[in-house]
Amino acid sequence: MVKHYETYVMTEDEYHTTYIGDMVKEFIEKSGVTNGIVSVVTAHTNCGIIVTEPLPCILSDLEVMLHQLVDDDGEYSHAHFLPTYGRTSANAYGHLRSILVGNSTTLSLVNGRLAMGEAQEIVFMEFDGPQSRKLFIDIIGE
Amino acid sequence: MIIDIHTFPGFFAEICQEAERVEFRRDQYFLYKQHVWPLSLFITQLNAAGIDKAVFAAEDITTRAGSTIVSNEEVKALVDIYPERLIGFASVDPHRANAAEVLEDAFIKLNLAGLKLSPAVQRFMPNDPVIKPIYQMCRKYNKPILFETGMTWVKNSPSLYSNPLLLEEVAIDYPELRMCLGHFGWPWVKETAMLILKYPNLYADTALLYFDSPKQFFETTFNGQLGEYWIDRMLYDKVMFGSAYPRIEQKRMVKAVDTLTLRPQQKDMVMGLNAMKFLGLEG
Repeated sequence: MVKHYETYVMTEDEYHTTYIGDMVKEFIEKSGVTNGIVSVVTAHTNCGIIVTEPLPCILSDLEVMLHQLVDDDGEYSHAHFLPTYGRTSANAYGHLRSILVGNSTTLSLVNGRLAMGEAQEIVFMEFDGPQSRKLFIDIIGE
Repeated sequence: MIIDIHTFPGFFAEICQEAERVEFRRDQYFLYKQHVWPLSLFITQLNAAGIDKAVFAAEDITTRAGSTIVSNEEVKALVDIYPERLIGFASVDPHRANAAEVLEDAFIKLNLAGLKLSPAVQRFMPNDPVIKPIYQMCRKYNKPILFETGMTWVKNSPSLYSNPLLLEEVAIDYPELRMCLGHFGWPWVKETAMLILKYPNLYADTALLYFDSPKQFFETTFNGQLGEYWIDRMLYDKVMFGSAYPRIEQKRMVKAVDTLTLRPQQKDMVMGLNAMKFLGLEG
């Protein structure tokens, strides 16, 4: 059985992180699938999805590291008008941070529960908010 | 108080119930991939950018394309949802036979705070006598006008109509009429600086971004093409913050203002106090 869902996360600031594990579990329950694979993917190229320990200090360290690695005001080629959009892109740093952390996670579903370590949580990361962000959640199994 | 004097509200869910109308807007306003999202998200974006209020302007191109891009009534509907955060500006196509009547309704019945005119998009010369009834109506009701001057990204909109120098005669003929040269008249930025320097009733906004990032473009324009200290020393009471949202995020334009050499008092004027004066919101 394959169940596909689409949902949205409303972010509140330019850089914003939010835990989405409970939301994913609700979709698992709704799907009726108890054993298989769960995939969570963001539809955007300036967001990220990671699995880490849900501690503010970890997320703070990650934020500092991403800003050290990717400068807001670098000399980016991406800073120009986009004729196919009708607007200017100036969000290269958001794209680059997204590439660094990745845009998806895949987890095992065993007997109706996500197979995760006790210290693990799914985190959605916004790098160019506030925005309404679409997520794809696919649950494959039986 | 930070006020964004120059935004376009065409893609909020509250006025985007019809898919055909959304496509019309995307096509006519040259915003092909703009997402539709709830107005509440715009308020969150204002909060994130530290902006207190924003001006939403309608766009009437009835005689050219058969409809408004955003109507005065739609602007009114949006403003009524967040009246403390939003300020509505009307639009009227000057070529409409009933232009003055439409504008008076916008001021009296819809209580909109000003008028936006887009000479290039609406294809009229600002100094054409046919526009006089519109100027007279604005003067009668003490409503300011935001002009789209300089280059517009909108297709089929020749810059011949939007040269800011065309507003000089209007400034002379209507000295009581407060007018803003949108986009700082780019690329005619020196002409714009001259006009706002000379005419007490003329203002300009910072909603200009045609190359580079906002910070880089402001650096090139305000600290290179214009004198670094011109706004701080002379034009500080004539320049207003504007973003041109949604062609660029407001948060980036707010940060771009940091590239200007402005003392704190002058920056406060640019970011909001001048707009309050322009809008007639001063005590």
